[in-house]
Amino acid sequence: MDLGLDVKERNGWAVLSVQGEVDVYTAPQFREQLIQLVDQGQRSILVDLEGVEFLDSTGLGVLVGGLKRVRSHDGDLALVCTQRRILKVLEITGLTKVFTIYESVDAAVGGAGQG
Amino acid sequence: MDCVVELEIPARPEYVGIARMAVGALAGIRPGLAYERIDDLRIVVSEACTSAIEVLGMMGSLRLRCVDSPKVLEVRIEAPRAAFESVFPAGGDAGPDVDSFRISLIRALVDDAELRSAAGTTELCLVVHRDGASDEDGGDLPA
Repeated sequence: MDLGLDVKERNGWAVLSVQGEVDVYTAPQFREQLIQLVDQGQRSILVDLEGVEFLDSTGLGVLVGGLKRVRSHDGDLALVCTQRRILKVLEITGLTKVFTIYESVDAAVGGAGQG
Repeated sequence: MDCVVELEIPARPEYVGIARMAVGALAGIRPGLAYERIDDLRIVVSEACTSAIEVLGMMGSLRLRCVDSPKVLEVRIEAPRAAFESVFPAGGDAGPDVDSFRISLIRALVDDAELRSAAGTTELCLVVHRDGASDEDGGDLPA
């Protein structure tokens, strides 16, 4: 089971695109990537979840950990997500109220948030 | 007719995907579970196996016993009781962390989840009801 992680710079955002399944096996790579971005000085991080096929509480923990880490440096971490299955997990756990969730990377880097 | 599928996986993170893939495939054999509900069950199986693995410290194995009937699919995951304490915390609900996310997901995504204990081991029993199934379905599986 592979996890794809790709980072691009867009209008001052570090856009981290995640592909594949995020669970207890792959979450450490995801966590490490977020830590690395913050350590490199990124303060506006956008995690694109459109390519994620599976996400459980371990993955949610990574997202929350990343948010706490970047906020401790006065930054922010937002999400791109339109997939019903992933949004459902975020809704059940109350995280739609915690993260700003955008419909696309373009909407995010242009500043038009949903949440 | 009930069909029983048993699976034993090493208590290691890389095998959790195998467990949810097997349960997801089994859930789709009979009619009555929409894709979304199968997806929900895969999440809950992943949560339960992860909880057990975190406690077992990647030692030993996890046994999953799936009982598939025309009306209900039951997934029983057997492990020492401590493995499921984060799922059913003794002192009430967990705080706002991964454990609380896990509890919320398990409660929301299956029709029933309960612990059954006997002789030093505990089974976390996850139940999903199939829609539109009747006794007359008889449990015959498609060829």
